[in-house]
This record gives sequence, structure tokens and C-alpha cells, in this order.
Amino acid sequence: MENILGTNLDRIVILAYFAVVMGFGAYFGKYSKTTSDYFFGGRRFSWWLITISIVATGIGSHSFVKYSTKAYQYGFSSTMTYMNDWFFMPLFLFGWLPIIYYLRLGSIPEYFERRFSREARYIATFMILMYMIGYIAIQFLTLATALYKIYGIPLMLTVVLIAIATTIYMHFGGQTSVIFTDLIQGFILIFAGLLLFSLGLNFLVENTSYSSGLKALWENLSPLEKLPLANFNSPPDFNFVGIFWQDGIAGSIGFLFLNQGLIMRFMAARSVNEGRKAAAFNVLVILPISAIVVSNAGWIGKAISNSVPGALPIDLAPNDVFVSVANLITSPGVFGFIIAALCAALMSTSDTLVNASSSVIINDIYRPLTKNKSSDKEQLRLARLASVVVKVIAVCLVPFFNSFESIYEAHGWFHSTFTPPLVVGVFLGIFWKRFTATAVIATFIGGAFLMILGQMYPTLISPFSHGIELRPGRGYSYIGALYNLFVCAGVGVLVTFFTKPVSENKLTGLTVFDVHKLKNIFKGSDVNESIGRPVVVHYKIKDLNEGMVSFSKEDMEITKSKKGDLVYIQDQRWWLGGLKSIHATFDEPHDEKGIVYINETQCDSGMFIKGLALKAEKEM
Amino acid sequence: MSFYQTWLPFIYLYGVGGIAFLFGTFLIYKTGALRVNYETHKKWVWVLFYGYFFYAFIHALFIYLAIGSI
Repeated sequence: MENILGTNLDRIVILAYFAVVMGFGAYFGKYSKTTSDYFFGGRRFSWWLITISIVATGIGSHSFVKYSTKAYQYGFSSTMTYMNDWFFMPLFLFGWLPIIYYLRLGSIPEYFERRFSREARYIATFMILMYMIGYIAIQFLTLATALYKIYGIPLMLTVVLIAIATTIYMHFGGQTSVIFTDLIQGFILIFAGLLLFSLGLNFLVENTSYSSGLKALWENLSPLEKLPLANFNSPPDFNFVGIFWQDGIAGSIGFLFLNQGLIMRFMAARSVNEGRKAAAFNVLVILPISAIVVSNAGWIGKAISNSVPGALPIDLAPNDVFVSVANLITSPGVFGFIIAALCAALMSTSDTLVNASSSVIINDIYRPLTKNKSSDKEQLRLARLASVVVKVIAVCLVPFFNSFESIYEAHGWFHSTFTPPLVVGVFLGIFWKRFTATAVIATFIGGAFLMILGQMYPTLISPFSHGIELRPGRGYSYIGALYNLFVCAGVGVLVTFFTKPVSENKLTGLTVFDVHKLKNIFKGSDVNESIGRPVVVHYKIKDLNEGMVSFSKEDMEITKSKKGDLVYIQDQRWWLGGLKSIHATFDEPHDEKGIVYINETQCDSGMFIKGLALKAEKEM
Repeated sequence: MSFYQTWLPFIYLYGVGGIAFLFGTFLIYKTGALRVNYETHKKWVWVLFYGYFFYAFIHALFIYLAIGSI
């Protein structure tokens, strides 16, 4: 058995953490009553709740290890991938987000069927499922590798135990559990990362002559390590231009436009504008903080190596920096907490992907095959079963990924293999009306074939290499993404010009050119854009038509609403973030100011409490 | 430190990335997805350009400080 790390106190802290998260997630299971609740959380949450839960999704358990390693080797340029996501925000916020939200898409593959054909949907489903399940397996493997060294139990048994623990709260709670457990896990991740940073700075102050930890860190890094962007085209395993195309272009589009887990978060927002706020705040504020959270152990490790000789082993492997630095600068119990944060990263990323995978299985395989004839209850039961099956497959894939040279290699293989065809397919689909169904299938199949050729004959990639050195036997790494994007797009464009486009009527609402019509499509009538104010009301129960609610004439005047407009009603306590809320339609008004009439079903769905005020605002 | 290590990556990032950013902004404006006569959309235009220059500023600042620390 290898060296066991940590103390008994650390082990207790980690177990306690698992217990708390499982209990917390299982509690929120009571809020999942339909497949819409299970997958999308009922489209009711505030932007800040979505934002924090996205943090936990974006930081996987591999992130701490991977970025600390790069930070130790190359300094501040380890943050590059966290700080290059803004370029596609205009297209995401005002193009893709309204399309997926207002068309009520259940999944990304569903878009491929509506925009192209059923065949395109099936191929996209296969590729997306493979990608997500593989990603889950990598997450399991990363955390199991760390916990295995702490508890000393066999690696595969550790993987199984982790899978069971995450299943318990996921199984019952679905997306609502995911969002609320990810909320606390997001806070824990950020807190743990910043705690490590602050302990590291404190260590530097105590062991050097500097009075400020930040100054000690800055002065003990070389000028090259202070640069925020890597060298343009060398070394082959970490260069700016390769990472720009792999992560800044393909990765950013893949993350914003194709990540089913992320898309489901935005679908859980109570409106498109709340989704926009969540996305913008995430990229502008949370991602830079996350970059510090996942990288700082490497920076601290490098500064310690330079300023406190002997504190860290001279032959320290970059991959071991995170655990070694955490061990050095924390005390017993705190180390356990830091590892618990690693658990938080795994659980929050994998639960999102598992929920997303079961959503794809139900929406893109089960429903089309059964022609959507089964009841919602039956589909919910199957969704829960699907999430278990997904985890079983992921566990079975762990040995395969364990055979890769490193987790990074496995991760990179995924990105380069599955992302470019999908990125090109969805991107041309949204922004080019002429792009045809035959062309998207050719992109998937022909593009994949040319990508494989590129892997077999790296000289094909040379014209795209920007001067990056070709490593014998290993080929190009990151810059291969530019070649992959080029060949996929080339096949798509070429085939499009030789095939007949569909009529524009069949594309209504499916491209960026129709975004301005989407609100009307969503509402089913003309949109009321007049700006009103929210009102505070109390509810009374009345037997109203399904989906209708009745406000007073005075309250409708304040909200500037008319019969048939859409309204959002939530518990007035803002910190619930929309957990207790409903969407409804304005019915004929009455004369009792401050009262809203709702039916029993709506009261039950919104989980409103008798006597507590509600806040209502017109949506459109 | 050479140009390849300092300003070339910056120029490439905000040049090529900037083309993607401006193309996207132009497209959503021309298609009517972004309507600058709506008050909320007007604020979003500011946020979009703020984000671009915010990141450009942070990166430029660190490059400048790193060069100055030689």
C-alpha cells in the first residue's frame, strides 16, 4: 500500500462532509415532482442561485490538480483558460440563450432534430452522451486517486463508494437537488481555495523576510512566471496559440453552446434576463476568482521552492504540488477540509453531468422511441433509473481512463475528439440558414474521419501549427483543435453548397435571425413590453382554469399587465432564490387589491405558505 | 523577454478574439436579437464592451508589471 496521507481528524471531516451534502441534497428531493422539475428545476430560480451553482459545475475535481500543476510549472499563465471566455458572450446571451429558453428545448440533441433531422439528433445524442459519461468517469478517477491515498482502500472500491454517495441525493432530487447542493459546494470550493491561498501567503510571511505575503509571492516568481499569457508557440505542451484555439475558441463555444449541464442551469433560471445575468456575472466575476482558487497552490509552491529551500522536496513532481502544498501549509482537520473541497468539486460536476445525461436519455432516446406516450410519473421514474445506469457505465469506464498516461491526456482526448464536430454543427446551424441536414451529418462523420486522419498523420496539421514544434510520436496537442475545427467546418460548408436548403418557414425560431420573434412564439400571442412594477400580494384559493391567476384591476395597472400576459409569482423572501414560485397567466381581474386568486395545484407547486406575502411581476 | 513571450499573445488574443466578439455583436444587432432602443438591452451593450476591455486591461496590466519586474 502507498503512503497514507492525512490524520484521523482529516478522515472524519471528509466523511462528515459527504454525510451533510447527501442529507442536504435528499431534502431538496421533495421539490422535484415532474420531469420539468427534475431536469430544469421548474424554470424558477434567480440569477445569483444559478451563478453560484455554475461555479461548482465549472470547477471539477481535476481542476485543482491540473491548474496547480501548470501554475507551478509556468506561473500566472495557468489562468489563461479561465480568462478567455468573453469573446462569444454576445452570441450566447442574445443568440443561443433565447433560442434554447423560449423554444423550451429539453436537450441539445433536440435542437439538432428541430433544426436538421432526426438522424442528426441521434448522432448528436450519441456523441454528447459519450462525452458526458466519459467526463464523469474521469471525475470519479481523479477523486478516487486522492481519497485512495487518504483512506488506503482499493481504488475501484473508492470509485464505487463515491458513485453511491452522489447517487443518493441525485436519485431523489434531480436538478433542484443539484442546484442547491452545488450552491453550498460552490461556496465551499471558493472558500477552501481562498483559505489555501491565504494560508500560503501567511506561510511565506512567516518563513521569509517580507512583511506582506503578496509581495513575497510576487518577488519570488520569475518575470516569465508573472506573465498572464503563455509563450506564443512553445513549448509544445503549454503554448498560448494552441491553448487559444483549443480552449478559447473550441472550448468556449463547447462550454457555452453545448454543455448540456450548463444549458440546463440556464433553463432553470426564471427568465432569459436572469440567465443572462448569471452567465455574465459568472464570466466577469466568478471565473477570475475561480482561476485563483484552482491555481494558487502552484504559485505558492513555486514561491516556497524559491524562498524556503527544503520546505518542499527538491524532486517534487508538478502533479503532486496541490497535495504537497496543502499538507505543508495546513494543520490537521484543515487538510481534511481542503480535500473535502476536492470532493465538492467532484460531486458538483458529476451530479450536473449525470442529471444532464439522464435528461438526454429521456428526451432524446426514450421519448422519441415511445412517441412520448408514457406518463410523466413513468418518465420521472425512468430518469432516476437512467442516472443510476449512467453512473454504472461511468464506473466501468474508469479502468480505461486509468490506462492513459495522465488524466490531462484523457481529458484532452475527449475535448479534441468530441467537441469540434458538435461545435461546428451547432454554430453553423444557429448562424447560417443555408446549412443543411445532410451537411451537419457530413460534418459529424466526414469531419470525424478527417480528424482521425490528422491524429494518424500529424503533418496534415502542420499548416495550422503557427510554428509549434511537432513532437515525434506524440503529434500536436492543443493546436490540433484548429485543424479539427477547420476540417469539420470545411466539410459542412462544402456539402451545404451541394445540397438543397430547406425553406425558411421550417427554420422559424431556430436561428439567430428569428430571435426577435421568439417571445411571441413562447407566449403564443403579442408580447406586452410596457414596463410595470412588481406588487406584493396575498393568495386565496379559487377553482380557476389551469395555469390562470387573477389579480385586482389596481395591481394589474401597477404591473402594466393585461389578461393573457405571463406573470411570475414567488415567495417574497428573496433569499429563497425563487425556490417557492410559479409561472402563470393573467386571467380576468377582480376588485380586491392585494389579493391574488390561484388554484390548489398552483399553491402546491409553488409551496406557498398561508399568511406569507408573495411578490408578483409581469414577465411579458 | 521577447515579443513572443509578452505582447504577441496579447495582440493575438484580443485581435482574433476581438474579431469573434465584434462579429457576434454585429450579428445580434443586425438580426434584431439585440435592440438598443430597449432600456435593458442598452445596459447589456455596455456590459458586453465592459467585459471585453476589462479582460484586456487585466492582461495588459500584468504583462506591463512583469516586464517592469525584470
